[in-house]
Amino acid sequence: MKLRDRTEVDEGTPWVERETMVEASPEEVWEALTDEDRLEEWLAPDVELDPTEGGEIAVRDGDDQRNGTVETLEENERFAFTWSRPGEGESFVEFTIEALPGGSRVTVVETPTQSAATNIVAGGWGPPLARLHHALRFALVA
Amino acid sequence: MRAPAHRHVDAVFDALADPTRRRVVETLARGGTVTASGLAGQLPMTRQAVAKHLSALQGAELISASRVGRETHYKLRPQPLDEAAQWIQMVSAEWDDRLEALRRSLQKRETRSK
Repeated sequence: MKLRDRTEVDEGTPWVERETMVEASPEEVWEALTDEDRLEEWLAPDVELDPTEGGEIAVRDGDDQRNGTVETLEENERFAFTWSRPGEGESFVEFTIEALPGGSRVTVVETPTQSAATNIVAGGWGPPLARLHHALRFALVA
Repeated sequence: MRAPAHRHVDAVFDALADPTRRRVVETLARGGTVTASGLAGQLPMTRQAVAKHLSALQGAELISASRVGRETHYKLRPQPLDEAAQWIQMVSAEWDDRLEALRRSLQKRETRSK
């Protein structure tokens, strides 16, 4: 089985990157990210997770359902999986945990995984897309 | 919450994956309507290559075409780009909510153990 190499995503500008600081050790964050009962406390009311590389993840919130595959498990540091809704494009989700004095920084990146989208990301299309979007707004107003 | 026209967003990302097509889109974003020959004059490629890229962009509904006499005029349609930008905004907002829930969940545990 070929697992996605994280550097493919790290090279370019991700589509979405968010972070938060928590007053908890990387070990505590790791448990909250990779234990299915703990995931149900914050991610969605119904989460199934087989925490092994290649394992399945299922996230349900009412009618909204996503399924995917665990890609990376590096204890206390990195947890990544793909997920998608039925019939929709797949995304790659990656959490990174970093120890800080008195807590941890948790960063999440979500990127469409289609090879095409990955190419855009690798080519740093993120900022040009934003620029283009601004250019269009001005063109429409003018 | 479901992504608006998520499949359409995929088509837009797909069409924009090619650097040449991005140049075509950026050229179109600068000024009104163009013809395939007009674009070929501005970009280092043949009229045939331009026509191929225009047809891919049309497939993703990023541009619209209209016949004027013997020529076809192409124009950028901003809506699909808006949808791609909306996807980014929506997914960002979803993760902000989830990370806040994660932070609170860890905080609660901390308070309990003290």
